[in-house]
Amino acid sequence: MSKTLEKLKSSRSYGLILLLVMLLFFYGVFKILTPGNFGSLSNLYSYLQSSIIYSVGGCGLYFIVVMGLFDFAVGANIVLSSIVGVILSKHFGYLGFVLGCLGCGTLIGFVIGMLYNNLNVPSMIVTVGLMLIFESLAVFVAGGVKQTLDPELRFFSGAPGNIILAGLAFLLMYFILNYTKIGTYCNAIGSNEFTAKNMGINVRKYKLIGFMLLHFFVGIMAILTVSYGTTMTALTGMSTMSRNFQPLMGTFFGVAFRKYKMPITAIIVGEFIISIIFNGFVALGAPTTIQNVVTGGALLVIVSLTARGAKGSVVK
Amino acid sequence: MEKRTLLVADSIDKRFGITHAVDNVSLTIDAGEIRGLIGENGSGKSTFSQMLCGIYSIGGGTFRLDGKELHVRNQVEANNEGIAIIVQEMGTLSGLTVAENIFLGHEEPFMHFGVKDARAMNKEGQRLLDEYGFGHIKAADMIDHYNFEDRKLVEIVKATYMKPKILVIDETTTALSQNGRLELYKIMDAIRADGRTVIFISHDLGEVLSHTDTVTVLRDGEYIDTVRSADMTEDDLKRLMVGREIGSAYYRTDYGEPISDEVVLTVENVSVPHEISNVSFQLHRGEILGFGGLSECGMHEVGKAIFAASWDRTGTVKLADGTEIDSITTAIRHSIAYASKDRDNESVILNESIRNNIVLPSIDDLASHGLLSGRKLTAFADKHATDMQTKMQSVNQFVSDLSGGNKQKVVLARWIGKGSNILVLDSPTRGIDVRVKQAIYALMADLRKQGKSIIMISEEIPELLGMADRILIMKDGVINGEFRRDPALSEEDLIAKMV
Repeated sequence: MSKTLEKLKSSRSYGLILLLVMLLFFYGVFKILTPGNFGSLSNLYSYLQSSIIYSVGGCGLYFIVVMGLFDFAVGANIVLSSIVGVILSKHFGYLGFVLGCLGCGTLIGFVIGMLYNNLNVPSMIVTVGLMLIFESLAVFVAGGVKQTLDPELRFFSGAPGNIILAGLAFLLMYFILNYTKIGTYCNAIGSNEFTAKNMGINVRKYKLIGFMLLHFFVGIMAILTVSYGTTMTALTGMSTMSRNFQPLMGTFFGVAFRKYKMPITAIIVGEFIISIIFNGFVALGAPTTIQNVVTGGALLVIVSLTARGAKGSVVK
Repeated sequence: MEKRTLLVADSIDKRFGITHAVDNVSLTIDAGEIRGLIGENGSGKSTFSQMLCGIYSIGGGTFRLDGKELHVRNQVEANNEGIAIIVQEMGTLSGLTVAENIFLGHEEPFMHFGVKDARAMNKEGQRLLDEYGFGHIKAADMIDHYNFEDRKLVEIVKATYMKPKILVIDETTTALSQNGRLELYKIMDAIRADGRTVIFISHDLGEVLSHTDTVTVLRDGEYIDTVRSADMTEDDLKRLMVGREIGSAYYRTDYGEPISDEVVLTVENVSVPHEISNVSFQLHRGEILGFGGLSECGMHEVGKAIFAASWDRTGTVKLADGTEIDSITTAIRHSIAYASKDRDNESVILNESIRNNIVLPSIDDLASHGLLSGRKLTAFADKHATDMQTKMQSVNQFVSDLSGGNKQKVVLARWIGKGSNILVLDSPTRGIDVRVKQAIYALMADLRKQGKSIIMISEEIPELLGMADRILIMKDGVINGEFRRDPALSEEDLIAKMV
């Protein structure tokens, strides 16, 4: 009996049910508290559209977080890639916009990966240093002025453009995780780098690939972000730091639900839950500081309920 | 049948810093042979075999397999040359499925234009698991859902499904139950019958003699001899390993000594959910109290429970003065020491120096006005490590560089340095060679004479019979039998209470 229960508790369906229960719980709570301002179908559609932008970044971050790495330069790259994409779009239209964002994003990933591999210092330190450099670079590239996306190039600003692009990103993530060696090797490196190396895995190469993939997805996120907001302003002084955390929350969901073999679904639903919580507080009229406290708290509760180690196990 | 040389090791050499781990070892191994490779901890047997398998680079000399010189840089390249290894530690990776673990580094047959066919991989993985008789393990499941032994079985499949010319089995049997061992022996026999070769590394000399054709002995990194298993006894092997006679003073020889009436520790109705139930006993001054049983009988949890390292423990553990042991801090403060069976994960801090490992629980005692003197710490650690005859370059050496036996000496040095009066030693000689074993037994006997009390948890029945004043046998989480030290007591008596 207990074996069957154990098996059930490790199944994909169980993971899915957990996610749905959490989703319904938070939706239910806010719907009861503010029935008029929150949770109509059109509201939900709007929450979904904002959350999928972060989900795309969350998918990218998944590649490096499972390897035990971290990246603080995600926000800086969103800004830099958006600015590069918008500038190129003025000359080459959609092609310049899309390739500018994706190319700049991936190139930044390559630079981070190479530096991380060669400097041999923790990823957190490398990316904090690079975040400062990329922020300054963005100011330089933007010429100190706000960059606005041409109104004719805003296909990705709303449905169906944003849904299509994000959907393609999720499919790509699914393909990479399930149909290439990259997903397996990233997990293997995260589990035990030394053993992975002994299995013939080129750890440096796959860490580089991990960073490049992350920032390719950041490039997609840049397309969606600047399309949604229509403008992008480059700022220095670690102002991009806050942009790192929203996608990271989805990644935490993905890592927590990896055991159910459904990281992408968990990232998407997880970001949607965070969005529901955030918008629920907006509907309640709570100040932003309270919203942040409760959003952060909810994340801790959710992840500790789903990903908490066994009693006595060491968690770092 | 004509013998064919499969592997030639010519002047294989390896140094780690100033340690000469393998010193110009030359040997040959035939096809269709099971070769035992034995030696004390630090004799170089694991280093030698790990060079063969690409885990370590070769310091000097050459390996030739079927006449071809080997230049392998990792396990996958070794696999491609026909060499596989099952390692002592956990060799599977969390976060991957069972099938992904089996085929890690060998995904090519399942890749089509860079796209992985996970379904085919799972199907093939399951076919192999079923073929090996491990059908209860599902290829598509995450490996994290399985226990240590099942994960070892997955490693066995991983290492052998490609039919390697040479399979190295490095101290694997200690992780397996009797059934798992029997499965492994069957696989070894099948490899031999197929004209391929096994290199079998184990400290269990009885097992080595029973399941090998020949045995190579290494000592201090040097090649000593290769002998026919059928011509040898365990004592012969011990003599070759150590370089002198060792049999006579292995265990205690005294019998009939009364156990003191003075109770130093009382354990009453201690239970840990799913592990042990209502365990009660008393430990006396100067007593070695043995705990025996099958691997999952709960005896290992008893050690943790006494040290207050168990979760959700109920019942009481009390010292003679009435102090209740309800936390690890209280246990240490009141002179209780604990050495875990899982030495690397629970007893030593691998990436720390010998000095810091030894001084850890004694830091407060060594501090003066809250300040620590590096010189004092070093002198303290050096004294106790030296007393234990730890094989080291200095106390600044990292524990990760030490052999299993020397790691255990560091653990014991730590608690002896702390002056602990009650020592809970779980599997104190697990994976340890005969010479260090002998030293640990001598130390235990000496501590006993000093009036210290020892709880020795052991899966080795001869060790229990040879060292304990009293033996408690556990079965299914409860105490199922008690025996007093007696020369007439036999292994069968204990086994009858275990199963």
